[in-house]
Amino acid sequence: MNKSIILLKNLLLSTSQFNIFRYTTDKKKKGNVIGNTIGMTILFIMLMVYCIAQCIGYGKLGIIDATPVLCALLVSAIAFVFTFLKTNGYLFNFKEYDMLISLPFDVKTVAACKFLYMYIKSLPWYMSISVAMLIGYSVYAGFSLPVAILWILLSLCLPLIPMVLASFLGFIIAKIGSYFKKTNIVQTILTFILIIAAFMSRFVIESVFKNGQVRDALEQTKAATEDAAAVYLPAGWFAKAINELSVTAALFLIVVSILLFAVVFAIVGRYYRSLNSALKSHAASGEYTMGAQKKSSVVNAIAFKEFKRMTGSTVYLTNAGVGEILVCLLGILSLVIGFDRLVSTITQNAPFDPAILRPAIPFIVYFCLGMISTCACSPSLEGKNYWIVQSLPITRKTLYQGKMLFNMYLTVPFMVFATVCIGISAKAALPDLLLYLILGFVLCAFSTTWGCVCGIRHMRLDWENEVEVVKQGAAVGIYLLINMVFTMLSCVGSVLLGMRMDHRILTGIFIAVVSILAGLFYKITMKLAK
Amino acid sequence: MLKINNYSKSYGGDKKAADNVTLHVESGDIYGFIGHNGAGKSTTIRAVVGVLDFTEGEILIDGHSVKDEPMECKKVTAYIPDNPDLYENLTGIQYLNFIADVFDISEHDRKERIAKYAGTFEITDSLGDLISSYSHGMKQKLAIISALIHEPKLMVLDEPFVGLDPKATFALKEIMHEMCAKGTAIFFSTHVLDVAEKLCNKVAIIKKGKIIASGTMEELTEGHSLEETFLEAENE
Repeated sequence: MNKSIILLKNLLLSTSQFNIFRYTTDKKKKGNVIGNTIGMTILFIMLMVYCIAQCIGYGKLGIIDATPVLCALLVSAIAFVFTFLKTNGYLFNFKEYDMLISLPFDVKTVAACKFLYMYIKSLPWYMSISVAMLIGYSVYAGFSLPVAILWILLSLCLPLIPMVLASFLGFIIAKIGSYFKKTNIVQTILTFILIIAAFMSRFVIESVFKNGQVRDALEQTKAATEDAAAVYLPAGWFAKAINELSVTAALFLIVVSILLFAVVFAIVGRYYRSLNSALKSHAASGEYTMGAQKKSSVVNAIAFKEFKRMTGSTVYLTNAGVGEILVCLLGILSLVIGFDRLVSTITQNAPFDPAILRPAIPFIVYFCLGMISTCACSPSLEGKNYWIVQSLPITRKTLYQGKMLFNMYLTVPFMVFATVCIGISAKAALPDLLLYLILGFVLCAFSTTWGCVCGIRHMRLDWENEVEVVKQGAAVGIYLLINMVFTMLSCVGSVLLGMRMDHRILTGIFIAVVSILAGLFYKITMKLAK
Repeated sequence: MLKINNYSKSYGGDKKAADNVTLHVESGDIYGFIGHNGAGKSTTIRAVVGVLDFTEGEILIDGHSVKDEPMECKKVTAYIPDNPDLYENLTGIQYLNFIADVFDISEHDRKERIAKYAGTFEITDSLGDLISSYSHGMKQKLAIISALIHEPKLMVLDEPFVGLDPKATFALKEIMHEMCAKGTAIFFSTHVLDVAEKLCNKVAIIKKGKIIASGTMEELTEGHSLEETFLEAENE
């Protein structure tokens, strides 16, 4: 058997939930597998329903022809972002590197197989988006077998180009980081710079594409999609292949995807060993001299341990810190350009008074901050180190209180900064600003406690790679989805109700409701910790 | 079989983790590599098995350069790290079959060897269980079996006796003798000086990345115990 296939098969088998279910005799583990599978299935169904609903919206608006481009752009964007955030840990600097590289595999084979493994593992997500959009498209454009076959076949290729590009970018960042003593910090800073650049470029691109006179939302969506497809050619090739049944466009997409993969992994493979050697090696000064030692409470000590755990991992830090960075940018941006202009930019000059968004300020801030809760992944992140906290004279309650305290330490200062910045730019009165801060605080508490419930309920300690629990775990997925729905509904609710009732009373009601929810989840956490 | 010539490695700092290391392991040798924690043993071993990239010096296995012909080297080498990271969600037998596939071992040979070594280390009954359910010692035994399965010409072992029960330790020592008799070279690091003294025909002592003493056991100890020799060398 070809060595690439042997390795790929083994990589997939070693992280297969089915394999665990089949061979484990531990009933709890079997239950966890079933629970995770059900959780993931629900997530897939929700994602598909959302995509089909989006297509129905396009159909009703009469822009169903734009669906293939939108599908290609959506899949590509998600593939790019998720791959970029996963490269360090999946492609480089992974746990079993020593074992794999000491076996008679060509270094390039290991690099390529790790990429293909990453591709296969995330393919169900991309395919569920694509197939759902195909269903929605077929409802309005009519079902055609050649279109369906071509759509599905090309959907397999769609994530390849963005994934290869994201991997290459991750490789360059890792390579630059490897030249420094503090590899981890350099990698994290570079990753954040790229995320911020991507965030800012969204506004730049939009201002380039928009001519300011386009008012019709329908035309605007279509025009923006076409412009984006003109810039990102693979999306255009996909759309052309589907809309015109163009074999040339289809072949172009397939050939370019494969060629790009071959070229990039020839380059990555060449530097793979030296890069991993540098990433897995740590310089030690050996010059420590004993100084004064500070004493702190148990809960604070656990929170500090969580802080060091986060800053010690590029994957964890970039994941946990992205919301904080975005919220800071949002705060600064609102001070610089003003609240009204910020709202117009985000809502693409939608025709409404920005003032109606004022009650939603805490939710706008929370939208960024609550994206990730460290509590959702930190119980699983204990992994093989779980014995340390288990063997210490601390209760599980104290352990989770420490983890929750850390999430509060992480989110609250950023929430205060962003809320004050946006509040000032929105010319909010002091009592309003105080209410926003209280609501922001209880929202942080909600994110913390809900994250902890997810983290404990779907705790997984037997991971091979921390990416599995930081970015892909059932705990994180369920937290993210429910939190997103909650934030969206709260945002819309605050705006709609804000038009009918006093803002202060409304914020007070939200404070009460969110406090009850946070309290409830705290109680559940404490119950689960028993 | 293994020639390390003037190998040096630093991790970005001023200090060298391995400094001009030179040592030769012949076929049939059981070569012990001793030194205190952080002396540079693992840094040298990881470079030998191709895990760690290096720029200074040369490492040859069976006449092939680790840097230029890594595949040729790895085909004849078996490596057991000090704390083997095995695929926890595979069963023991799935893992051994993976290693056997990688080394292209026939179905007949793999069955025979797995049966033999699993029997020796008394883990046959557990081969169908997930590795995640294994104890540290069982994982170590599995890693040892996976290293023996392709009958390597060179075995590189980093603290191989850690976690093994007395019976398994004895079995491993017997296997090492058997393999040496067949011409396999064994290069291993250990902190257990008694084991090294009884098992090895050659020893090298490493301190702060430098080889401070090396040679046959008789040359090195000159009638003293290895422990005395080691402590004397360390204190110099």
